[in-house]
Amino acid sequence: MTVKDSFRWRHLFVVPALAALTLTAARAGADACAAADADALAWLDKMSRSLQQVSYHGIVTFQRGDEMQAMQVSHSIEDGVANERLTELTGQGAEVVRVDHPLECVHPGNLLLQLGANLQAGECGVAQFYRFGVVDGQLVAGRRAVQIRIEPRDMYRYGYILELDRDTGLLLKSATIGRGNKVLESFQFASLSYSGEATPAEGAQVVHEARHSQPGNGVLSLGGAHPAWSVNWLPQGFTATDQPADVSMRRTFTDGLAVFSVFLEILSQGITPGEGVVRSGGTISYTRGMHMSGMPVLVTVIGEVPLNTARMVADSVAAVP
Amino acid sequence: MSEMMRESLSALMDDEANELEIERVLSRIADDPELRQAWVRYNMVRAVASGQHPVRLDLDVSAQVRAALGGEGHRAAGLRQRWLRPLASMAVAASVAATVVLGGQQLAQLGTTGHDSQAIASSVSPVGMVNSLGATSVQASYGTQGVPVLQPATRTAYQELARQRLHKYMQAHAEEAALNSPSGLVPFARVPRIKE
Repeated sequence: MTVKDSFRWRHLFVVPALAALTLTAARAGADACAAADADALAWLDKMSRSLQQVSYHGIVTFQRGDEMQAMQVSHSIEDGVANERLTELTGQGAEVVRVDHPLECVHPGNLLLQLGANLQAGECGVAQFYRFGVVDGQLVAGRRAVQIRIEPRDMYRYGYILELDRDTGLLLKSATIGRGNKVLESFQFASLSYSGEATPAEGAQVVHEARHSQPGNGVLSLGGAHPAWSVNWLPQGFTATDQPADVSMRRTFTDGLAVFSVFLEILSQGITPGEGVVRSGGTISYTRGMHMSGMPVLVTVIGEVPLNTARMVADSVAAVP
Repeated sequence: MSEMMRESLSALMDDEANELEIERVLSRIADDPELRQAWVRYNMVRAVASGQHPVRLDLDVSAQVRAALGGEGHRAAGLRQRWLRPLASMAVAASVAATVVLGGQQLAQLGTTGHDSQAIASSVSPVGMVNSLGATSVQASYGTQGVPVLQPATRTAYQELARQRLHKYMQAHAEEAALNSPSGLVPFARVPRIKE
């Protein structure tokens, strides 16, 4: 298989871990699923489907602290596949494209939000891990919005305020909320159109074709013999986004709203054990030097989760015997 | 547990607790069974996850933590006077956070070594104390492989490692986030420098 082919993954791809999650959800029973949650879950279901199935283009802003970025995005559906493009209008000016993404290819993060019939059966899915509120939103990019307030039920994830298009369910605005109701980062559409063609922005120096993960695709595998390893603790509700080979140096997990990745590096020489943390908006980079089966390794957790989550996850990394 | 308390506990676990929040948790942990349960549960998950023995849920960690902190008992009060008083307030806060967290971490061992308060105090307190007495307020590491006492140079080096890894791995993380979170390609906006 060529590298190019691997980007164009045409098969429905469901991670078996989802089955385990579904069982857990069923056990929680209907009483955990409040009316407000059911309403919100229906909206989230619509949102995750519209993300794939609606054609749109517009300008998006992304803010972290004092830093504001602007980018042009477009998403178009043709012949059962989606083509997506993001062009940075500030900073580096890079462009990211994803072509020929089949509409029936639904990834675990989106599946977790698509409860559909399961919701009718009293299954609450992500409502086990978040509390929801639904209120009328204001205008975003000229569109009437509904606001979903999402609050974590435990301390392993952040909260969110999402504003969805009342008509299409498209996510128009999102804020990631940390402790003390602090907005860690946010993005929103400044302009949005559901018709016509996007005018391509000019002058992108770097064009990156977005990757498409699949079972066994060890994107960051360094080649050569590496030990099999696993992450042995996850906050409830998180599931693997793909199935990399055990020797792959990356693992990624999602609960449908938050995503984090774990990276492992085998070091050639010893290291003083320790840890380091850097934050950028809602993203944390937590690096931990430790020994795994006597080998010096560096474990890094990168994602939109609190420090404690990253630390506990890094702590649980171990060699598979 | 109140929302505020949950936040304080969360802050403590994330090393972000201020004095007020630490005070809030400590003042309530003895009297609030729900908070205590939550605390033990969080730590039990960790103990189990890291391959230690499961911890008994009814183990009363609060008394041990308080003893270690000098909240009660003559010996502990002596410790407090000797170690805590001269320190700057933020250093105290840091040491308390480390001690409390590590106190939880020691639960599995405590479960097997019995309830001798002196043994408990000595197994709980050293890391927090040693760290806070260093030149910098050093974060404890909560691994199963012992807790390193970081020298300032090591600490700076690790922060630099974390910064470099953010640059190195952010794009690989964004690839997955873009496929699994509801904002399309927007996660790529978090990548410091997009590579082809």
